[in-house]
Amino acid sequence: MTRLAAIAVGVASATIAGLAQQNTGGPTTTDLLAGLRHPERWVTFSGDYTGQRHSPLTEITPANAHQLAAQWTFQTGTMTRGRGFETTPLAWDGVLYVTGSNNFAWALDGRTGRPFWQYRRELPANLTYGAQAPVNRGFGMLGDRLFMVTLDAHLLALDRATGTVLWDVVLADYTVGYSATLAPLVVDDKVIVGISGGEYATRGFIDAYNPRTGARVWRRYTVPVAGEPGSDSWPAGTEAIARGGGGTWMTGTYDPALRTLYWATGNPNPDYYGKDRQGDNLYTNSLLALDPATGARKWHFQFTPHDTHDWDANHVPVLAELTIDGTQRQVVMVANRNGFFYVLDRVTGRLLRGAPFTATTWARELDAAGRPIVLNDGQGTCVPDQWGGTNFMPPSFDPALGLFFVTARETCATYQPQAPKLVAGESSFGGVVKRDPDKASGALRAIDAATGERRWEFAYPSPSMAGVLSTASGLVFAGDNEGNFMAFASRTGAHLWHYQTGSPIWGAAAMTYTLDSRQQVLIASGTTLTAFALPLERRRSGGR
Amino acid sequence: MFRRVFRATTGWVATFVVASAPSWAGQAPTSAAGETTPAGATLYAARCADCHGADAIGVRGPDLTRLWGAGATDDRVFQTIRQGVPGSIMPASTAPDSDVRALVAYLKALGTASTAGLKGANGAGGSAAQGEATFWSTCGGCHRVGQRGGRLGPDLTRIGVTQSADALRTAVRRASAAITPGYQSVTLVTRDGARIRGVRKGEDAFSVQILDTRERLQGYPKTDLASVARDAQSLMPDYGPDRLPDASLDDVVTFLTSLKGSP
Repeated sequence: MTRLAAIAVGVASATIAGLAQQNTGGPTTTDLLAGLRHPERWVTFSGDYTGQRHSPLTEITPANAHQLAAQWTFQTGTMTRGRGFETTPLAWDGVLYVTGSNNFAWALDGRTGRPFWQYRRELPANLTYGAQAPVNRGFGMLGDRLFMVTLDAHLLALDRATGTVLWDVVLADYTVGYSATLAPLVVDDKVIVGISGGEYATRGFIDAYNPRTGARVWRRYTVPVAGEPGSDSWPAGTEAIARGGGGTWMTGTYDPALRTLYWATGNPNPDYYGKDRQGDNLYTNSLLALDPATGARKWHFQFTPHDTHDWDANHVPVLAELTIDGTQRQVVMVANRNGFFYVLDRVTGRLLRGAPFTATTWARELDAAGRPIVLNDGQGTCVPDQWGGTNFMPPSFDPALGLFFVTARETCATYQPQAPKLVAGESSFGGVVKRDPDKASGALRAIDAATGERRWEFAYPSPSMAGVLSTASGLVFAGDNEGNFMAFASRTGAHLWHYQTGSPIWGAAAMTYTLDSRQQVLIASGTTLTAFALPLERRRSGGR
Repeated sequence: MFRRVFRATTGWVATFVVASAPSWAGQAPTSAAGETTPAGATLYAARCADCHGADAIGVRGPDLTRLWGAGATDDRVFQTIRQGVPGSIMPASTAPDSDVRALVAYLKALGTASTAGLKGANGAGGSAAQGEATFWSTCGGCHRVGQRGGRLGPDLTRIGVTQSADALRTAVRRASAAITPGYQSVTLVTRDGARIRGVRKGEDAFSVQILDTRERLQGYPKTDLASVARDAQSLMPDYGPDRLPDASLDDVVTFLTSLKGSP
């Protein structure tokens, strides 16, 4: 047999094995790499590794979106005061795998929303950050396993068919201030997770675990120790660096060709008081490019040096190919809490574009290296509030239109820093923020990614915390703080449809997949997960 | 079985909705265990005995007579009754705090009185090692222990904590006599005549959710089905003495009662 023929046979048997696995086994690493090329699935937080949250599905269009109708609603029975039902469901073989507030989780029938099983973690009574924000953003999935982090800072593997815990490992000591809320990212047979708790005296890290055993493969701290690269961005000889913050609480993205993981970091601690941590405070409020095999850092880009506004950079870093000034570029894009939209070369970490996407007066320009030229620190005249120009709610990117869709927040807040008392297990914001609610509004904005210019916006009466989904048929799904789940035309921003969910859509972005050849769109809001589709009678397709 | 438990639970809730004064909602347990009163025994008989047995040594639910001996505290037992046990058939209680406290007091008194007499009574006297071998050759296809085994039957990782030896013997010998809620065997017949067997995980008037015998979770609209039948027989066969001699049963039960692990 020739070498080529041998390869061909190998490919054929791999395909047959893949088909056989479709019904009984769960997703393989190959399925995770395929992402949304199988639109009957949604296998990872953003749908695929790019973080574009852009579906190839085209059944629901700008012409028929006004016919969208709720198919079912699932009631979680558990809620989070002041926060949201922030999850993105995963879809596999007609079943939805959903995490909820207070570390509940479910497997739901995609056709009806009826549960197969429910999981609830017994949580300790003395949670720290986990009590302030008892949220969860979703599962990671590989084979017959689901991966979920907890408010007491553990990582669990659950059996996909039964919801039974298979292993349970400690990420960090929750009594100090740590918690965990993000959807794990499965990359190359590793479960990658990050940590929450930057409002406490904690030190952020990104971890990789063995999906079968739960053994930790590597840990990368986001704040260096004395002598390591970046440590000169902290005052020497103080303890500030050891509790420097830099949480890692949003799911990253992955470029399999470059074998690079992109993961963002959060605020330095204390949030508002910076006098005892003079310097840039690396690698807080940064984007890190890491080797997924070892966690080694390839490059970093810091959005907000020496932050005193709690402007975490915990966003989904969106990977795409763009033509900028006539040159094709492999880029990573971030619309940041500090009000700027960034396009970086994802091979080198170098800034290609950077421009404000909000009316912020904190800074209006970046220097050539990407450092903001700060005009106003917010102690006198107002700047964006501590929730920022946008927040962790996922944006989306339509590669055909070159448009980046983001929920923008226009706010006005002044900051009064105070030296905090640092007590383990107690939050240390380091000051207070005064917000002017009469000067707050929101918008869904479409940014031309190659130029950074705004193409259109749809205005909201108040700042929204809802994420965005787009589809290849030219639709953008977004949400507002008043509870509306909405569809817009991607090209023009024209409003096409909305549905009042009864609760602010907060932190969640929609997902979409096909079930029985019928496109479904799902959104989490309040205590409900609702599935939408076009009316069945308008279609001529046969049964399930 | 599932239906009966569901009705009992509904009845419980309804009772307390009628009986409750508005003041108890959200009230913290000021003292976990109050006086032992006849009310505690009455509440136990009405609410708990179905699963834990009239004498509290465990039927489908665990033996409650050894809780304090095993290190439980009044507050811990109170919270378990109040919140239920995730991943088990133990529901959260909506009863007034005073009722839960009466239950805690009753159980505590019961445990103190009966601990000595019961020790050893649950033992099976077989070989755990032999039982483990028999388990993996006979039971492991459908039952899980830790990360090994099948998923069609209940996970047995902690079965030694939640079931008595006698209850386990009965469950093996007469599997269909008491099917664990959530494991009702069903047969679905599709409109084109295909038969699908599995265990029922959910059902409403218009749909049914199952884990099929290939361990695939799947929901079916009833419009796609010719029939949905609850099977009289459990998917687990009755293991009579012809299939599992008494000595082997002792071994298996000894192995099962040793399973007290958590993942």
